[in-house]
Amino acid sequence: MGRKKKKQMKPWCWYCNRDFDDEKILIQHQKAKHFKCHICHKKLYTGPGLAIHCMQVHKETIDGVPNAIPGRTDIELEIYGMEGIPEKDMEERRRVLEQKTQENQKKKQQDDSDEDDDDEEPGPSFQQPATTIQPQAAYAPMTQPGMAPVPAPGMPPGSYSGMPPMMPGVPPMMPGMPPVMPGMPPGMMAMSRMMPPTHGMPPMMPGMPPGIPPPMGHHPGIPHMAQAPPAATRPAVPATTVSTPQPSISKPLFPSAGQMGTRAPSTSSGSSSLDSLSASSKPLSQVQQAASGVAVSSTAPPSAAPKPTFPAYTQSSATAAANTSSAVAKPGTSVTSKPATLTTTSATSKLIHPDEDVSLEELRAQLPRYQCKIPSSGQAHITSPPVAAMGGVMPPQQGVPAQQPGVRHPMQGPYGAPPQGVPGYVPGGMPPYGQAPPMVPPYQAAPPRPAIGMRPPVMSPGGRY
Amino acid sequence: MSLFGTNTGFGSGGTGVFGTTTTDSHNPMKDVEVTSPPDDSISCLAFSPPTMPGNFLIGGSWANDVRCWEVQDNGQTVPKAQQMHTGPVLDVCWSDDGSKVFTASCDKTAKMWDLNSNQTIQIAQHEGPIRTIHWIKAPNYSCVMTGSWDKTLKFWDTRSPNPMMSLQMPERCYCADVVYPMAVVATAERGLIVYQLENQPSEFRRIESPLKHQHRCVAIFKDKQSKPTGFALGSIEGRVAIHYINPPNPAKDNFTFKCHRSNGTNTATPQDIYAVNAISFHPVHGTLATVGSDGRFSFWDKDARTKLKTSEQLDQPITACCFNNNGNIFAYASSYDWSKGHEYYNPQKKNYIFLRNAAEELKPRNKK
Repeated sequence: MGRKKKKQMKPWCWYCNRDFDDEKILIQHQKAKHFKCHICHKKLYTGPGLAIHCMQVHKETIDGVPNAIPGRTDIELEIYGMEGIPEKDMEERRRVLEQKTQENQKKKQQDDSDEDDDDEEPGPSFQQPATTIQPQAAYAPMTQPGMAPVPAPGMPPGSYSGMPPMMPGVPPMMPGMPPVMPGMPPGMMAMSRMMPPTHGMPPMMPGMPPGIPPPMGHHPGIPHMAQAPPAATRPAVPATTVSTPQPSISKPLFPSAGQMGTRAPSTSSGSSSLDSLSASSKPLSQVQQAASGVAVSSTAPPSAAPKPTFPAYTQSSATAAANTSSAVAKPGTSVTSKPATLTTTSATSKLIHPDEDVSLEELRAQLPRYQCKIPSSGQAHITSPPVAAMGGVMPPQQGVPAQQPGVRHPMQGPYGAPPQGVPGYVPGGMPPYGQAPPMVPPYQAAPPRPAIGMRPPVMSPGGRY
Repeated sequence: MSLFGTNTGFGSGGTGVFGTTTTDSHNPMKDVEVTSPPDDSISCLAFSPPTMPGNFLIGGSWANDVRCWEVQDNGQTVPKAQQMHTGPVLDVCWSDDGSKVFTASCDKTAKMWDLNSNQTIQIAQHEGPIRTIHWIKAPNYSCVMTGSWDKTLKFWDTRSPNPMMSLQMPERCYCADVVYPMAVVATAERGLIVYQLENQPSEFRRIESPLKHQHRCVAIFKDKQSKPTGFALGSIEGRVAIHYINPPNPAKDNFTFKCHRSNGTNTATPQDIYAVNAISFHPVHGTLATVGSDGRFSFWDKDARTKLKTSEQLDQPITACCFNNNGNIFAYASSYDWSKGHEYYNPQKKNYIFLRNAAEELKPRNKK
């Protein structure tokens, strides 16, 4: 559970009851979620500070702290990090935490016995709680060394089919996380990572669990939590992390050098989601809304709680989830080097494209109606479609009669050269033009083939179109 | 000024009465409709270069035709001429002086269309459908570059039937763009090759794709000195990658962004991810437009990394787009792109080309 160091519990946000690994990260979270001006997005330091800013700069009053749970919206309480929290709220919190720990332990015992009793494996869902609860209980020591064991429980084979091959044990859920909780320190996610499988209320993550896909990409950040950089980039977290899936998917799990802020993607392009980055202009609704949605409903575990990660991703951020899922499905389904999978479909996203291997134009061009017209005996058939179409459609045309006398192919001789390029047309086009020996074939693609100049009189272009 | 319920003559081309309830989903943006659009899906659009006066729009379609319209200053479009291929037309481009139009078709040929005489001659031949065609104007040579599904990139002097040069590509050509002295070609299997065109075309670099899905469209952008410096690459997975050729800090300068996706916040239903069908850069502002299978177009500022605007949803995918030479007009085509397979193809459905005033909406956002 907690580290049992700072005030006997991990730093938590009084406004929304969320837990954080580090007070610095808690403060960043508060600045980004609770002390941020909704008009100009300036981040203040305290609630009263925000109120004063709005009044002075925008001449607006605010009623309460943004994104705070009911009962905790008092704008006049000066809370900064863990300081200023009323004593009674602190006690209440401690009590709640203890209850949760007990609950979890009981649950764990229950699950253990369940497993023992059953002859068959109940399935991933059962395995998860068992395995993950242990890490939970031992969370404190595990935080950092916890990286190792964490991946193990976090890899419920059932829920992340396809992912394990991708990442060494940890599905790239991370992307989903940050958008949901901008400002949530990676440590938070690591913790909640073990939560998802837990169907109940993980001690510190009221409301978090469902929305917290294993923050794989951010694991590197966890050990570095104490560092300022992640904090500094907190507001940009949604943007940066959302895009993380790209680099993290292709790289091994812990690009420790990368972290959230620096994020050195393996691919040649660093990626950041332009959508979510645009905080100042067209806001990327998905990220922010999802994030605030989760923040607000902190105590109500989303209905997706019992299910494995996918729904969690969906909740956290459709974009990140879609990103993740499509990326995930790819490695899972395609073993070849290039992702040559069929339409990527997952619980969270669907690629509207028939087949990944072939382009839309290639698919379409295969249809008989689009096969190139062979002007063989088809002088007639070549002419009819265009004439019909053109006659009806372009009346005001000047100088472009359907017949297109202008369409000529003077370069007959030389063009005879690449006949090998047009084998397709040979069968159709050849026989009638037996008279026009080598010249004809090359022009198969060209409409007035017969009029190839070899014998213009014979195939009068008049009838061409 | 009151907007609601007043006949303010708002909007371009439409009746402009705000509060009108007839939202015809074929033109929700109330943009100017081009008259006499093609009878089948429009595959490509190109505006005339600045060297010739006025605005002329060329559009190639799957009905095997290439049409030319004159776009007048009052927004009226006048069909001017038309030419045919024997197969669907996949790409068109203008010569630098605006006197010729080059067309590439599934019939494995490319033609040069002399607009003054309204005559066409065949100038290229491939072993497979030609997917891209671009005019290259170098100080010491001029030629037409054609990229084909036969995995070759050929360069043609229009006076000779044999190519000046033929380069082998790793895979079928899916899209290309040329801004002298740089050319970028994206192929099947996520191939990406940059060519340098000085002296003669040669392969410059093969780049590992920044995207994880099939490449669909590419457009080169220029730096402040109007030198090509990078490109935007779109895939079928609703994502565009902005990639610089020689950035000071690749990890930070290159990035990708998601676009053309549905219901972002509605987590109950899976998100639909659409292909990016075309990308065009505004010639003056350097901002870009993307059009997708979802039937929307979006404007973006890649330097500020923000979205400028997204349109309403049209009832058909948007298959092509382009800006005119001074950036005042944005043309986009609404027609079926096959993104849902042949079942959703309705030959009776009308295809449209819309013109929109692009002078204001594509101004870059000031970086905060």
